[in-house]
Amino acid sequence: MIRYQGGSLEAFQEIYAQLAPGVRRYLSHLAGGSEIADDLLQETFLQMHRSRAAYNPEYAVKPWVFGLARNIFLMNRRAARRWAKVHESREDLPDFPVLPEADRLGSQDEIRRCIADLPPDQAEALLLHHEWGFSFEEIAGMLGISAAAARARASRGMADLRVALNGLQRARA
Amino acid sequence: MMDQSSNRPQALKPPEALMRAIAQDLRPVRPSPPPLRLALRMVPLALLVSSVILLAIGPRQDLGILGPLLAWGASAAQFVLAIALVWIAAHESIPVGRLPRPMVYSAVVAASLVVVFVNLLTFSTSPANGPLLRVPPQINEMLRVSPWIMGFACGIGSTIAGGILVLIFGWLFRNSLATRPTITGALYGAGAGLAINAGWRIACPISTPWHSLGAHGAAIIATTILGALIGRYLGTRRLRIS
Repeated sequence: MIRYQGGSLEAFQEIYAQLAPGVRRYLSHLAGGSEIADDLLQETFLQMHRSRAAYNPEYAVKPWVFGLARNIFLMNRRAARRWAKVHESREDLPDFPVLPEADRLGSQDEIRRCIADLPPDQAEALLLHHEWGFSFEEIAGMLGISAAAARARASRGMADLRVALNGLQRARA
Repeated sequence: MMDQSSNRPQALKPPEALMRAIAQDLRPVRPSPPPLRLALRMVPLALLVSSVILLAIGPRQDLGILGPLLAWGASAAQFVLAIALVWIAAHESIPVGRLPRPMVYSAVVAASLVVVFVNLLTFSTSPANGPLLRVPPQINEMLRVSPWIMGFACGIGSTIAGGILVLIFGWLFRNSLATRPTITGALYGAGAGLAINAGWRIACPISTPWHSLGAHGAAIIATTILGALIGRYLGTRRLRIS
């Protein structure tokens, strides 16, 4: 990021190659699988470029870009009033890999569906921690909550996910 | 568990349109300072602008009655809270640096309560309700008969001083606004208003609540709104959604 701030186009390409797939899946999760995730991904990296001076090396790049993506999503939702449209497309489940912790409890489709049914704040904290590997302090900084609250949301989300998947297993049996 | 995408090499390339936009402006930029350093940078400027009124008309004449704690100590507390608001604003503008919501709300509520409490305490200690400025007696008499003139002068004067400070803060924040520019602007606007009030209350000779809360409080609200508008303007220019 420091090389990029110094004006290196190659450094930008490296950052994009490393972060774009994860950011896209995160945006896809936020947008409920909606097609706007691709537009928002490009918007995120454009805003990252415009705001590159605001980056301080004290922070890790990955959560910084994910936080920016989240803000872009929220701005877009407000600006375009696409919230209803986003929810209409909930049937198309977001294209994120399932959590290995939950993998043995159900099929990938069931896990995705159960995550989509979790309260949004729990699902977001759960995925940010278990799927994208952010620490609770980083999640707290992205969501504007305390680290303890981030931990609580993720663990409640995981517990609810287990309950939902166990319920499905019992129903199958 | 880690992001699985980071475990395998990616040959993902940015789209052409994005690359063109990036390549158009690749001038080197200086990294923004961390929030605390950014907030501390504001201190000398805020001190300077908030003391202008003291240098212009001098301190109020009942400082002896108020005592150093209520006069200078209360202003120092307000000033520290003002810088704390600027520090919170700097955190808000960082995508991964947000502080917990309750902490932000508590700081705003604490700042409001401190202003109200200090003003009421000042009034109960020295209920000065007429201006005693170093001006000819007939002007003092006119101001006493028409108190709205002093209210208007304090309201407009501290709003202008606060507005100048907001513009300076906006300039210093211009490269640090990555996210939530409107909230960031409102917070540093409130900080500017509070810093100005810290100096203004020692110079203003009227203690009545309607004056100190009405005129001075309105100035703090005005600088908060001005900060929000400036932040929104800067953010819209940089962070607009196409």
